[in-house]
Parts: sequence; C-alpha cells; structure tokens
Amino acid sequence: MSQEEMVGEEKHSSSKTKKSAGKRDRLPMSKFIWSGIKRRTFRNVVTVMTFAVVAAILLSAFFLIGGAENSMQVGMDRLGADLMVVPQQYEHLTDSLLLAGHPSTFFFNSSELSGIEQVPGVAQTAPQTYIATLNAGCCAFPTQLVAFDSSRDFTIQPWIRQALGRQLLPDEIILGSSFIGSGEGYHLIFYGHDFTVAGVLEKTGTGIDQSIFIQYPDALAMANDSKKLAVQELTLKPGQISSILVKLAPGYDGEQVAANITSTVVGSSVITSNHLARKISDQVSGTLSTLYLTAASVAIVSIPLIATISTMVANERRRELGLLRSMGANKLYIFLIVVAEAILLASIGALIGGVVATASLMIFQNLITTSLEIPFLWPPLTDLAIQTTLVVGLAIGFGGLTSLYPAVKSVRTEPYDSIRLR
Amino acid sequence: MIVASRISKIYSGNGNEVRALDGVDLTIQSGEFVIIIGRSGSGKSTLLSLLGGLSRPTHGSIEIDGNDIWKMNDKDLSKLRGHEIGFVFQFPGLMPTLDVLENVILPSSFVEKREGVGDRAIKLLDTLGIGGKVNSFPHQISGGELKRASIARALINDPSIILADEPTGDLDAETEMEIMEVFRQMNDEGRTIIMVTHNPDLSSFASRVMRMDTGHIRLEAR
Repeated sequence: MSQEEMVGEEKHSSSKTKKSAGKRDRLPMSKFIWSGIKRRTFRNVVTVMTFAVVAAILLSAFFLIGGAENSMQVGMDRLGADLMVVPQQYEHLTDSLLLAGHPSTFFFNSSELSGIEQVPGVAQTAPQTYIATLNAGCCAFPTQLVAFDSSRDFTIQPWIRQALGRQLLPDEIILGSSFIGSGEGYHLIFYGHDFTVAGVLEKTGTGIDQSIFIQYPDALAMANDSKKLAVQELTLKPGQISSILVKLAPGYDGEQVAANITSTVVGSSVITSNHLARKISDQVSGTLSTLYLTAASVAIVSIPLIATISTMVANERRRELGLLRSMGANKLYIFLIVVAEAILLASIGALIGGVVATASLMIFQNLITTSLEIPFLWPPLTDLAIQTTLVVGLAIGFGGLTSLYPAVKSVRTEPYDSIRLR
Repeated sequence: MIVASRISKIYSGNGNEVRALDGVDLTIQSGEFVIIIGRSGSGKSTLLSLLGGLSRPTHGSIEIDGNDIWKMNDKDLSKLRGHEIGFVFQFPGLMPTLDVLENVILPSSFVEKREGVGDRAIKLLDTLGIGGKVNSFPHQISGGELKRASIARALINDPSIILADEPTGDLDAETEMEIMEVFRQMNDEGRTIIMVTHNPDLSSFASRVMRMDTGHIRLEAR
C-alpha cells in the first residue's frame, strides 16, 4: 500500500470514528444496564427461566379459569335454556356431553318426566334426544347427534331463524363448530341416513362444538333406515327423549325452580348453570391445584436462589459499582442499576412465560376439553391483557424484591471499599 | 485548594482496629503536583480515597475550595466527584462490555454538560496516542493503552483535580515514563495532581513530595 493510500485510509477511518463519536455523545443508563446483563449468562438464564416457568404456570391457570368461565357462559347462552332436566341415572352422561362433548346414547319415555310444565316458574320446555353416531363418514370418531323438536325448541331454532333466515328443511342438520371442512351443502351419512349441512354454529368451547343438531322426525327416519342400511341398528321409538330443556318464567330463581322440579318429578335431576359451574370448578380444581403447587414449588426453590445469585453478582460487581461512584454516579443510580437489571430479567421471563402459556393452551385446547373435561373458549383480549399485566407486574415485584438486598448493600458500601476489592 | 484537618481513618472488624490514618493535616494548593510515597499499608491510598470523597474519615474534615465535602449530601458529593475530580487507579477498571470510546464518555453520564463529549473523547484519546482504538474493547488493547484510556476517562469531564493511585504500578519503565509525561502535561494545564506511588524515582515530576508511614505524613519536600 502506498503512502497516499495509507493517508487516504487514515482519513476515512478518522471520519468513521468521528461519525461514531457523534452518535455516542452520552451513554444512557439502559445501555449500561444491558451491558451488565450481557455478561452474566448463568444468572440471566436461571432468572429468566424461573420467572418464565412461574409466569407460564400462573397464566395457564388464569387462562384456564377464564376460558372455562367464558366457555360456560357462551355455551349456556347458546343453549338458551335455564335448566336441563334428565333422569337421575343419566346426569353424569349429560354433564360429560355438555362439558366435553363425550357422545352417548340414552333415552327414556317422555312420560317419565311428565308434569314439569306444571311446576311453578317453568315457562317453556323443549325435549332433546341424544344419539351417539357410529364411526361416521364425516368423522374418525363417534359424534353426538342432538335431535330437537322444531315445534317446541328454543335453543337452535332462534339461531336457525337468524343465521339461515328460514326453517330447517327435512334432513337438514346444523353442525357444531368443531367439524372443520364440513360446511353448508355438505352431505353426511349417519346410520345409513343421508343429511345435508345447513349451517355451522359459532364456537363455544363446550360439548356443543362436537354436536350435530338434527330434527326429531329425521332422527326417527334415521333409526328406521338403520335397520337396513347401518352396521348397527339404532332403536328409537316415537316419544323417547334424553332431556328436557326448561326456560324460566320471568322473576323466578333457577335454583328454586330446580328444587321444585326434583321434588315434584320423582327420579329427575336438574342441571343448572350453577351445577355446571360447580362441575367445571371440580374438574378445574384438580388441574389448578397441580398448577399452583408447581408454581409455588418453583417459586419457593427459585426465588431465594435468584436472590442469592443476584447478591453474588452484586458482590462480583462491587468494584465496577464503586468505580461508577468515583465517576460521579450517586447512590440512587447504583440502586436503580441493580434493581433494574433484576426487573428487566424478571419481565423478560414473565413475557416468555406468557407466550408459552398462550401457545400451550392454543395447541392443547382440544386435549384440555376432551381429557380434562374442562370446556375452554379464549376469554376476551382485554381479560387476557389484564391477566398478563397482573402476572408481569407480580414478576416485576418479585424480581425487584430479590434484588433489594444486593441493591441496598451496594449503596451502603463506601466506594473506596468496593474499589479496593481484589 | 484542598485542606484536610486532623483526619483519621480507623477500620474495625472482628474486634480489631486498624488505624490507617492518624490525625493527618494537609493543605494542597490548586495547580500543585503532589506525589505521596510510602510502603504498602502506610495509609497513602486511604488518604487519597478520603481526599476524593470515596471514603468517609473517622475523624476530621476535608474541604475542597472551602466546602466540607463530608457535610455534603450524596447528590452534591457525587456531583463534586463527577465535575471536579478525576480518578486514575492502578487497575484500569474499564467496563469490558463497552468499547474504549464508551468507557471514556461514561463519566459524562453523571454530569449535566454532555454536549460534544464524543468529540472531546476522540480528541483526548488522540492526544494520549490511542485515537485508533476508539472502537476496540478493553480485552483487545494492551496494558499501556488501557491505562491511557482510563486517564482519558478521568479527564473527560475536565476536572480540576486528578487523584491517581499507583497509576504506573504495573507498567514497564518506558510506558511508565510516557504516562508520567501525560500527568506532567495535565499539571501544566493547571490541574492539581495528587499521585500515590511506591516508586521514589517518580518524585522528580512533583512539585511536592510527601512520605507516609503508619498513617502519618513523616516528611515533606518541595
């Protein structure tokens, strides 16, 4: 390289240097905090992982509760019924059907539950009949058919009127939201009977999503066809039903009317929204206990560990912090650096936990509903945001707490004592 | 002017008391170049830390330009350290994750006057002969360059007092002389230099030399 070239190179390098100097007229605290964090991989990984695990567990629990409550609310609104009356021996099957969509077939003669209409507070009743399909053409698994009486129904009919703007034709069916790929006009065969899809319901997160709604006369025709066309005959006689949905008269208390029904109609069991809520609560409580216990165990083991690591790191950095004091940093600056690092790591951990919790619930949503029998429908975004903020806030609080001792210790140590450490 | 009156520093712990400084009186005029020599444990570094407000004396007072620094609150004392005092230690103490330029401008984060600090840092590093190392990280430069960078850092806020604790302790003879020339130049610019060293050969750079022993100033020579 010639001398001229070298001089040119030097000039170029000098202008580059000047440019970089211009950009860096000051060193913000954030940059200093970040540079402190970058150097301590072990502390960072332990802290972030701990807060991520605790936050993921807490948020999963919150989301699960919120999702179950939301699902129940939407599901009950979808049903449009205040009460559901079934013979006592079928109560658990109905719960399972409503909450998790586990299909079942059970009938009784409508005469068994006669007299419900006369119970004070009962404004309207609508019978339904539950039939589990065989492995049908649509689905790789048995599906729940719900036959309803169009003349008395108040659960599906309003939706049909609103969504389709017409009455359901013979052999037309309405699908729950889980039947992906089977839209309007699609043909499905159950027990050898051909049906046409007229519409698909919105998602509720309950067993309704795995149900297919058919008209009662079509169910009888299907049972008739099954004798000749199905591998297994369906025996359904006119008048056989599985449940009676009840709409309350205005001003009546559901629990009171339910009590009246069970005392009036011998052998009946009434499913109320409270009953379902209790049932969900029972289902959720086992899972929640496990989740909370895990979160508590992780927190109990890790928070002191993080505090110890933070103290070790602060000790390790004593000379560095002492040097900052010698340069003019005041006690507040030192305190904030130590606390801010911990809070930043805790926040990162909590946010990662939030993403993990959300992703897990999205991936395992169906598994949660079917295996744990917990209905799940994502709560509104605002609820999720509030819960996430709460958990991130908690993480910030705990993160700050773990750094308090090292922060105070760093501030109380005389700068010279920190600097002369070897 | 720095005036220390009857200052003592007693370290206590495990039932033992160590009297590092014992009633020292000292007055240093602005613009002086004072070198304090003495054996290890004689109290010279402790004296420097007290004069610079890094350690509180057990007894006595220290005034800088008429203000008792240990009567100041933390905010004012920190401000004084940031604006008026530049420290150079035996170890360079550069932050490993910041490059040389960032290390040099770091003290400016604690003072109000920040305009043009980047250019000032470049100029200082150029003057100290390490202008080409601005973007290097501490682990990428030599011991002498680290020392120069730490001197640039001490000068970035244009302090009137430089306190240097064994600044050439771990340097070879040639680099030691170069660094001492830098201090002489800083003194020529009007700064007060107070330097602690165990090397009596450096006394020729000073306008006043003090010898310390067992927490007392035993000898002073101009």
